[in-house]
Amino acid sequence: MAELKQNQKYWGDVSEGEVLPRVTMHVPFAKVILNAAATNDYFPGHHDPEYARAQGQRNIYLNTMAIEGFIDRVATDWAGPGTFIRKRQMQMRASIYAGDTMYGEGVVTKRYQDAAGRNLVDITISIATDEGPRVPAALTLELPRH
Amino acid sequence: MATVAQAPFPLTFGTYTDALKLVGQAGAKTVAEFSVTWEAIKVYCALVEDANPSYWDENYARRQWGGIVAPPGLLLSWCMALEWHPTKERKHYIMALRVPLPGDTLINVATSTEFDRHLYLGDRVSVQDRLVQISEEKDTRLGIGHFLTTEAEFLNQDGARVAVQTNQLFRYRTHEA
Repeated sequence: MAELKQNQKYWGDVSEGEVLPRVTMHVPFAKVILNAAATNDYFPGHHDPEYARAQGQRNIYLNTMAIEGFIDRVATDWAGPGTFIRKRQMQMRASIYAGDTMYGEGVVTKRYQDAAGRNLVDITISIATDEGPRVPAALTLELPRH
Repeated sequence: MATVAQAPFPLTFGTYTDALKLVGQAGAKTVAEFSVTWEAIKVYCALVEDANPSYWDENYARRQWGGIVAPPGLLLSWCMALEWHPTKERKHYIMALRVPLPGDTLINVATSTEFDRHLYLGDRVSVQDRLVQISEEKDTRLGIGHFLTTEAEFLNQDGARVAVQTNQLFRYRTHEA
């Protein structure tokens, strides 16, 4: 197996305003079905197009856990695998449908230590499709220190 | 109003007044059917295309965390109800699904999750949630209904807190078809 990237950001090396690399992922129909299976979520809006349309949706759509996982990936692809996600807030303002391509972009908003002495970084992440922004998110990451 | 033909879960129907009586109530504590497995972690990472070695590389994960850990986004999945069980009734832990309201469908809207510790292979999660708030009737792009806010606490098998999550979902009926 090829070696997986272990590049780690250290707290002291991060600056406010730093931009995270953009992450792109195509979402074919089969991935939305994989989503249902991977998260044990058989709510019909995630696998039955007829049900999704009756709900007012265009097609089957990704669930909360898939979007959370993509958000976390945007964060840790940038920060590195030794990052602990302390907090994640996300709002699904519009759905991500089978056939869409999703994009994740982010920026560092704050670097600080909390009362417990943890080395923290706040970031905002925006998940979009070709139709525009879908899911805004805000995360607090705990990073290692040199 | 248009009716969504297939009930996603056995929803409870009633009025907003009925629903408000449940605010502040806690659901039953549920122990997950699914223990944390590397197989489930790999399937989820394949879904979101996450190459983080904390999930794939035993040597790295042992050095960094003491073992392979579960991606935080998998938190809810461990506690999902099985589609069929030989002795148990199919019941979802999410209390919002059992609140009596007119809406015949739902969609999740927002989550806010604070994590205390990782989940490791073999861990068994338990969860209990509480109904925090129900909005007045709102007319949205998708339909007419109510926003339900719940707060869930997730523990590992030793009773240590893994995470606390506030969740908001929209229980609604679509506009006239």
